[in-house]
Amino acid sequence: MSKPEFVYVIYIASTAEKVFKALTDERMSEQYWVGNRVVSDWKIGAPFALKLKREEKDVTGKVLEFDPPRRLAYSFRAAHAGMEAEPPSRVTFELEPQKDQVKLTIVHDKFEPGSKAFESVSRGWPLVLSSLKSYLETGKVLHAPWYETGNAQQGAA
Amino acid sequence: MRKPEFVYVTYIETTPEKLWEALTSSEFSKRYWFNTEVKSEWKIGSPFALVMDGTTTDVGEILEFDRPRRLSYTFHHVLSEAARKERPTKVVFVLEPHGKLVKLTLTHEDFEDGSVILDGISKGWPAILAGLKTLLESGTALAIPPVALGIEGFQ
Repeated sequence: MSKPEFVYVIYIASTAEKVFKALTDERMSEQYWVGNRVVSDWKIGAPFALKLKREEKDVTGKVLEFDPPRRLAYSFRAAHAGMEAEPPSRVTFELEPQKDQVKLTIVHDKFEPGSKAFESVSRGWPLVLSSLKSYLETGKVLHAPWYETGNAQQGAA
Repeated sequence: MRKPEFVYVTYIETTPEKLWEALTSSEFSKRYWFNTEVKSEWKIGSPFALVMDGTTTDVGEILEFDRPRRLSYTFHHVLSEAARKERPTKVVFVLEPHGKLVKLTLTHEDFEDGSVILDGISKGWPAILAGLKTLLESGTALAIPPVALGIEGFQ
């Protein structure tokens, strides 16, 4: 049986530099990532954290690749909602400028078969990346009602 | 082995009614779907066609039309000989309102093993749906160059 992986492509009317900045900036991520914040000093091997607004335990990892504005990768280990026993997975972003667009490809892989984190992030990424696109194109973020009500089960990470 | 299918979820700040209109209006579709008109009378069993710059690229039949919740049609690519030999596939759109957002889930399924069109539609849908989202949210049409998709024969 093949290992599960999540792959998503989205086109954003922006520059690669702005998309890369949004992916690595704590304040910007808080805007589009439903209140969660990416925190790192973005050196290869440095700690990475996704500070979750609605959970006590953060997602943690290490920076694996940092090649602005083309590639970014970090390991990703969730410690909430029964996912703490799973080994870290890996998130890779690839940015390709295309005319006045950026093609953003995210691959989230290295999950174990049956991974709960895989199910969770597969539901979460489409909203986070849809919100990132809206944020960069219109300045507005997407507010899904289940975040407002505190029920984050359907959401990211 | 799991059957090959393509699933894509996106969230759009709009209403299900506006999104439905965007999916079924040929004037609107031209603006986000690589100048492609969606053509149908939108009755169950009636013919469906995609017409790009005057050329029919895909044909099918309406399977479900439950405004503004569920739309599905068969999808048969007719531009190449190899694609014409394949059986028709199936496209399903599901629209779910979530507050100010609509969650749009596209499922494209029922491909033959080794289908020659699976790669192309997997590259095409994210661009089409990105254009749709941008147009509904900002009123601006995205100009993604077809060649950027890397689909053989689509320049």
